[in-house]
Amino acid sequence: MKRTIKLKVNGTTYERAVEPRTLLVHFLRDELGLTGTHIGCDTTQCGACTVIINGQSLKSCTAFAVQMDGAEVLTIEGLAKGEELHPIQTGFWEEHGLQCGFCTPGMILTSYELLQRNPNPTEAEIRKGLEGNLCRCTGYQNIVKAVQHAAQQINNAATESKASPVEAAKVP
Amino acid sequence: MLENQSLEPTTNGYKAVGHSVRRTDGAEKVRGEIRYAGDLHLPGMLHARPVLSLYAHARIKKIEVEAALKVPGVVRVVTAAELPLILEASESRKRNPLAKDEVIFYGQPVAVVLGETEAAALDGANLVQVEYEELPAAIDLLLALQPNAPLVRRKEGHGADLEAQIHATIEVKAEKEKAVLPPNVSNHVHFQQGDVEAGFREAAVIVENTFRLPMVHQSYLEPQVVVAAPDPLGGLTVYSSTQAGFSARRDVAAALGLPQNKVKVVSMPVGGGFGGKFGLLEPWAAGLAKLVGRPVKLGYYRMEDLLAANPAPACVIEVKVGARADGTFCALKARLIFDTGIYPGAPVWLAGMLLGSYYRFDNYEIEGLEVLTNRPNSGAYRAPGAAQASFAIESQIDALAHALQRDPLELRLQNCAVEGDLNPSKRPWPRIGLKECLEKLQQHPAWQHRATKGVDQGIGIAVGGWPGGLEPATALCRLDHDGSFTVTTGISDLTGVTTSLQLIAAEVLGLKPEQVTVHNVDTDSAPYAGASGGSKTTLTVGAAVVKAAEDARKQVLEIAAQYLEASPEDLELSEGKVKVKGLPSRSVTLQEIANLSMSFGGRFEPVFGRGSSAITRNAPSFAVHLARVKVDRETGEVKVLGYVAVQDVGFAINPAEVAGQIHGGVTQGLGWALYEQMVYDETGTLLSGSLMDYTLQTAAMVPPIDVQLVEIPAPDGPFGAKGVGEPPIIPGAATIANAIFDAIGVRVTEVPATPERLLKAIWSRQF
Repeated sequence: MKRTIKLKVNGTTYERAVEPRTLLVHFLRDELGLTGTHIGCDTTQCGACTVIINGQSLKSCTAFAVQMDGAEVLTIEGLAKGEELHPIQTGFWEEHGLQCGFCTPGMILTSYELLQRNPNPTEAEIRKGLEGNLCRCTGYQNIVKAVQHAAQQINNAATESKASPVEAAKVP
Repeated sequence: MLENQSLEPTTNGYKAVGHSVRRTDGAEKVRGEIRYAGDLHLPGMLHARPVLSLYAHARIKKIEVEAALKVPGVVRVVTAAELPLILEASESRKRNPLAKDEVIFYGQPVAVVLGETEAAALDGANLVQVEYEELPAAIDLLLALQPNAPLVRRKEGHGADLEAQIHATIEVKAEKEKAVLPPNVSNHVHFQQGDVEAGFREAAVIVENTFRLPMVHQSYLEPQVVVAAPDPLGGLTVYSSTQAGFSARRDVAAALGLPQNKVKVVSMPVGGGFGGKFGLLEPWAAGLAKLVGRPVKLGYYRMEDLLAANPAPACVIEVKVGARADGTFCALKARLIFDTGIYPGAPVWLAGMLLGSYYRFDNYEIEGLEVLTNRPNSGAYRAPGAAQASFAIESQIDALAHALQRDPLELRLQNCAVEGDLNPSKRPWPRIGLKECLEKLQQHPAWQHRATKGVDQGIGIAVGGWPGGLEPATALCRLDHDGSFTVTTGISDLTGVTTSLQLIAAEVLGLKPEQVTVHNVDTDSAPYAGASGGSKTTLTVGAAVVKAAEDARKQVLEIAAQYLEASPEDLELSEGKVKVKGLPSRSVTLQEIANLSMSFGGRFEPVFGRGSSAITRNAPSFAVHLARVKVDRETGEVKVLGYVAVQDVGFAINPAEVAGQIHGGVTQGLGWALYEQMVYDETGTLLSGSLMDYTLQTAAMVPPIDVQLVEIPAPDGPFGAKGVGEPPIIPGAATIANAIFDAIGVRVTEVPATPERLLKAIWSRQF
């Protein structure tokens, strides 16, 4: 028996009837066509499906779509402002923090939450913060640099606009 | 100690190649807009969900599909009998995707359910009941080798004489050897030189050990996935996560009995391959699509990929080496036994050849056996065979150095192979960078300061070498109306090679990289390129792109010569213009040339460069690694504190991406050394069947990796470039094992060096 949910994804409100057993990741990919959220494992290890729910990162293969009634969801597709990439996206591109790209959306969104919590993370804090996301191409070396690059950019932008780094990095 | 000076580019005055640039596909990847094969949703597409075997070896008595067919949305349940594939006597999983009459490994697909939705197909698959009669299985490698071991398949299996097939693949020199090979042995290799026993009589020290490596999974983050769609004219389009589009086309056409021009393979962006995506699901998916006349998506879940793909083989390697008192190596005797799973194809020849190839041994005898077991067939994984061989031989070289009380790096320098030395395949090494890599590491602070170390810390080094793959390739280069160029190839991009090809073409054409677009297109449109693998794409396709761009450049100059009424030799192409040397006012832009050659009533032939390469000289690449580890004697845990990877890359076209690829390879090597293993119980059931049990490293488990590049140009490579992908995984296991020995005096002979194994070793020395 389908149930109707209403949620906001990347700023757009959707009202859809979903099967109670539909996972959030399947809802995003199959129902909304947001295929930037990837599925890499069945057991919540890899983090390729990470999205932001009400400001917190969540592996979207561990939640049902029906649990998202009333939630605000941010997926990788909602991070850039049109043509302008988010500083974390720029960091991953500039610092070669991606190769095959399959882990990248999840890595970027986990980094997003990390920098919201801690705008100036140390290398150890970045490594710890990304523990829920697997990458098989980069050995994480350039991913760490990408997050550092992003933190720097965000802090610079914050200084210029006299905003807090958390606000500067936030996607409205 | 992250890389910095090490990546100072050797630009040789080049403007495009040799400079680090960001990837051409970066924007779509960071935006999540790139489409992998699994992201496709075609109109009318069905979803396929496999039913997997619960036994390693059993007769299929009955497959009950009624309950599954009653599930709303289930369209069909397909077994081997209905799948329209031409089986012949093919010894390949690709051609035998579903078990017929008999299952031969745990997790083997037995049936597949097609549903209108993934959920329906999944529900259906859960309701398919298979009745089995269990048969004796050959699981353990050494037991499978016994003459009386259970056969992995009953002789009548697949309607062919199994033994005849097995022997057909054996490369034996002497007839008598054929008779004594046990029934599950599917290949036998032998390399020999001099008199190995006489060699050992000259030795002052001899070390002998047996090394074991487990089956490991390539663990590409994107599981295998294919979408196949029939077209109304009887053909098929196959969208695949493959590394090998042209080979997938051959596979599908042969399996379905179609002419090759009826099969179009679109190589989708690959979410990691590492050798594991050389073709597996394509004929299966294509057969399903043909059977039902609708598009079908067939993708593995992670657990299915662990169970039923093509992981790297397990092996046991016995190695005895001897050295004279002056440190000269004098004898090597080795036996390599590879577990190839249900079909032949393990890299035993390569492993045996490489094991005897890094150093000069006057006398050696190397024997390799490939053994069939009731486990999934082995596939390629980054430097197949080399990582296994290096663990064994490089651990032994370390043991020799210890026995001789010699500096392990100097001992390697004294004996390492150089240009002209014959390797066990009796071919001379071309110019190789092994010695230069060792010398570079010798000067590195991490080696210079090796004596300064804390309690239970150790430094280990090891070598890895890769002969380098070769395959002919063609590339095309077209001038466009805006004065930019489009390069077309048939490769899959695994590692940023598209960006390298862009830099190569830009360099030849005197343009900025962004004025060249590289398209990797489907098999209907692409010029031939082999599979992306074996560290050969940049070398071979890059060489073709050089020629294609040169050809285009020549055509541009010819048009300009006529237009400017000058001799082509007096012209130069740079910054998008052809100028008469010394007369800068006489020039014509690339846009003008494009318009003169591609417009109604145009005067000149369109500029369309073609370049092919058929390189026959290998471009081997070597790596030397160093690790600093700390062993916790209480827990058995090994922490890698620092890592240096020196590698000869010929010439780094895009240094940042070269370093990135090395980072990834090193990490996978460390995974093999410390974490990764596919564990099967004695019945052949996979115990590490998900990422909860199969350990992949997270960011906090990987040390900083210092990449040091050595650049010894490959004579046929584009600007001297060699392949980069395979070498960085090779030395990892031995590097860590040697560092552990240096730290606590325990010789690790089986990887991964888990805390359990290390504690056992530590305790056995204490009591």
